[in-house]
Amino acid sequence: MLFNSIDFAIFLPIVFILYWFVTNKNLKLQNLLIVVSSYVFYGWWDWRFLALILFSTLVDYLIGVKLSKEENETKRKVLLWISIIVNLGFLGFFKYYNFFIENFTTAFSFFGNEIQANSLNIILPVGISFYTFQTLSYSIDVYNKKLEPTKDFIAFTAFVSFFPQLVAGPIERATNLLPQFYKKRTFDYNKAVNGMRQILWGLFKKMVIADNCAEYANIIFNNSDNYNGSTLVLGALFFTFQIYGDFSGYSDIAIGTSRLFGFDLKRNFAFPYFSRDIAEFWRRWHISLSTWFRDYLYIPLGGSRGGTWISSRNIFIIFIVSGFWHGANWTFIVWGALNALYFLPLLLLNKNRQHIGIVAQGKHFPTLREFFQIIITFGLTVFAWIFFRAENIGHAFNYISEIFSTSTFSLPDFKEIYRAYVTLGLVAFFMMLEWFGRGHEFAIEKLMITRSRMLRWSFYSFIIFMIIMFAQTEETPFIYFQF
Amino acid sequence: MKKFIILMLKFSVFILVFYSILIIFWGRFAPAILRPNINYTYRTYGFTNTRLNEISNFKNIDILFLGSSHAYRGFDTRIFNNAGLKSFNLGSSSQTPVQTEILIKRYLDSLKPKMIIFEVSPLSFSTDGVESTLDIISNDKNDLNSIKLALNQNNLKIYNTLFYSCFHSIYRDLFVEKKYAEDIKKGNDMYISGGYVEKEFKLFKYVNYPETKWEFNETQFSALQRIIELVNKRNIKLILIQAPSTSSFYNAHTNNIEFDDRIGNYGIYFNFNEISKLDDSLHFYDAHHLNQKGVEILDNDVINLIFKQKFILRE
Repeated sequence: MLFNSIDFAIFLPIVFILYWFVTNKNLKLQNLLIVVSSYVFYGWWDWRFLALILFSTLVDYLIGVKLSKEENETKRKVLLWISIIVNLGFLGFFKYYNFFIENFTTAFSFFGNEIQANSLNIILPVGISFYTFQTLSYSIDVYNKKLEPTKDFIAFTAFVSFFPQLVAGPIERATNLLPQFYKKRTFDYNKAVNGMRQILWGLFKKMVIADNCAEYANIIFNNSDNYNGSTLVLGALFFTFQIYGDFSGYSDIAIGTSRLFGFDLKRNFAFPYFSRDIAEFWRRWHISLSTWFRDYLYIPLGGSRGGTWISSRNIFIIFIVSGFWHGANWTFIVWGALNALYFLPLLLLNKNRQHIGIVAQGKHFPTLREFFQIIITFGLTVFAWIFFRAENIGHAFNYISEIFSTSTFSLPDFKEIYRAYVTLGLVAFFMMLEWFGRGHEFAIEKLMITRSRMLRWSFYSFIIFMIIMFAQTEETPFIYFQF
Repeated sequence: MKKFIILMLKFSVFILVFYSILIIFWGRFAPAILRPNINYTYRTYGFTNTRLNEISNFKNIDILFLGSSHAYRGFDTRIFNNAGLKSFNLGSSSQTPVQTEILIKRYLDSLKPKMIIFEVSPLSFSTDGVESTLDIISNDKNDLNSIKLALNQNNLKIYNTLFYSCFHSIYRDLFVEKKYAEDIKKGNDMYISGGYVEKEFKLFKYVNYPETKWEFNETQFSALQRIIELVNKRNIKLILIQAPSTSSFYNAHTNNIEFDDRIGNYGIYFNFNEISKLDDSLHFYDAHHLNQKGVEILDNDVINLIFKQKFILRE
């Protein structure tokens, strides 16, 4: 089920009413309702893969129970490895099987050995990368004794399958989300109103910004051989805003929806395009994944403690793994490596933590220095997104070589150019609101909050009107579903 | 909780009022590029408005033509009238069975035809019909059937256009002279009383189409079934006809037989791609629309068929 669908618009109020009016007296029943709703939500897409989630849930639940009783370190390690192998095994099979088969056959034929290996027609289960990492974090935390294993199977199942964040995150840690299933939730008016506001902003990002940018990004990327350099720059810009609007929009809807049910999810985006360097960008982009890799990969590998060589190696590892997490394609690996290259000088010069706070806090505009820092960081990000969006490495290099040709000095030119300019206008309006709201959790959280109700409601209504007027008329899935 | 629900209800009312006011102004004053989800096609193409305005002049006709532009550009009512068959062409742009159903519910009882010729193009059965719905709600009166049509198609563009069209029709009734008529000549098109649209004579330049397959939309077949039931209840003869396309366009589609088989199951059906002797270059002005010479050949073939098969007896 998509957040931007009529199905979800009907589903959400039904679950909300059942949750607060029917099951509110019994915590177990409330958690059970979450499990059932989440399975309906996921099964709406393809019910066959529910078995996969259930199996993953069962394995990690039982491993957690076993770990709580087991004191022998070797046996505990074996249990942890079972969880890792099962979870990553599923992920590896569904997501990476064909990639490895194809690359092995290519590598063998390169050395003159022709081998026959059949790739399989595998459907990637939506959200597998997200819930796999979520359950893995549980097993690892229990193993490390950072978390008491749960004996409440319903609560654990609800934690793994919680529908707002099941298919595209934020990737929750058991330490944050699981305890929320143990406590009785009480309805909080302010939290619910704020949740509605965040849902609205998420829908605007997805339906107005991302979907409209997607239209032109697709036209330009899919026919890049036919366009001049400046059009390709425009295409890369459209994709830059598409992926941000799409993914952060999803996260906003997920967090907002959770608030309606009394839950607090981790923040996933913090205005990344206003970052002053790449290190800051990565503290603000897909935060739940970056921190996951930091805690479960970078730190166990030694983090920045082992000198320059070890730190650099670890940075490359987490960025490349992070790229590979996004998909079984060399383009994602190069994208990850490129970001590692961007990051490395900051790490070596010990400048990776110089921009922690909000840019130009308390001011309307950034200083000239901040402005140029933002532009340069944004430019580097846009450049890296070309690899992320390209069909293959060759496509990315052709795209980039055209950008660095003289054709970039001519005006952008493609069939839908005037409509594309309107979309750029919408992006400008969106980024303006993001700029003024950058001090808060999401752009419109406090915007107009001190104004009269009439003005405030008119503002929200205008946002809704923009969605009605500019949304694509066909429901489009979120990009991160494919990861 | 109570406070939250009351707030949501109040806000819903507020947004409804806000939307109603803003959509009227936005639809009226914003340039087309800034209102992609209002597609108000009042008197823009296809002469739907003129056709629907003169429908009240036609009663007790012999033949009613229904369908897309293949119908209103393919069945020349003058040729049928000359053969003694009083006819009216209720085709409209990209009309699919979903919209045909609405139109016959509105007009069948007043037209009282002896026979209906429904042009069934695989193209109409392969689309969602949004374009045609927009054409009809922009140019015809809107009633409960329009709301039903909008809900069935569930498209943002249709909802916005329907709302704006309702406002615009009130505005026209109040402020615009009622007798103001649509120009019957637009570009190369000329509206002929009775619903036909004649295209200035033009020949088709051959194009080679790549092989493809029709992807049928099942809702169109369901609508066709309902149309047949509705027509049968009134004891009106219904003939399904596929108007001809250029052979290059027709043969590029690999599942024409599947379409013929499916449509054949619904009633009397003739595929004129297999009947009329037409030449791609001489008798068409584009890949699937006949020029006037082609129309004359097709219409005479249809008239011969009507009399030969005794669908209507020659007087």
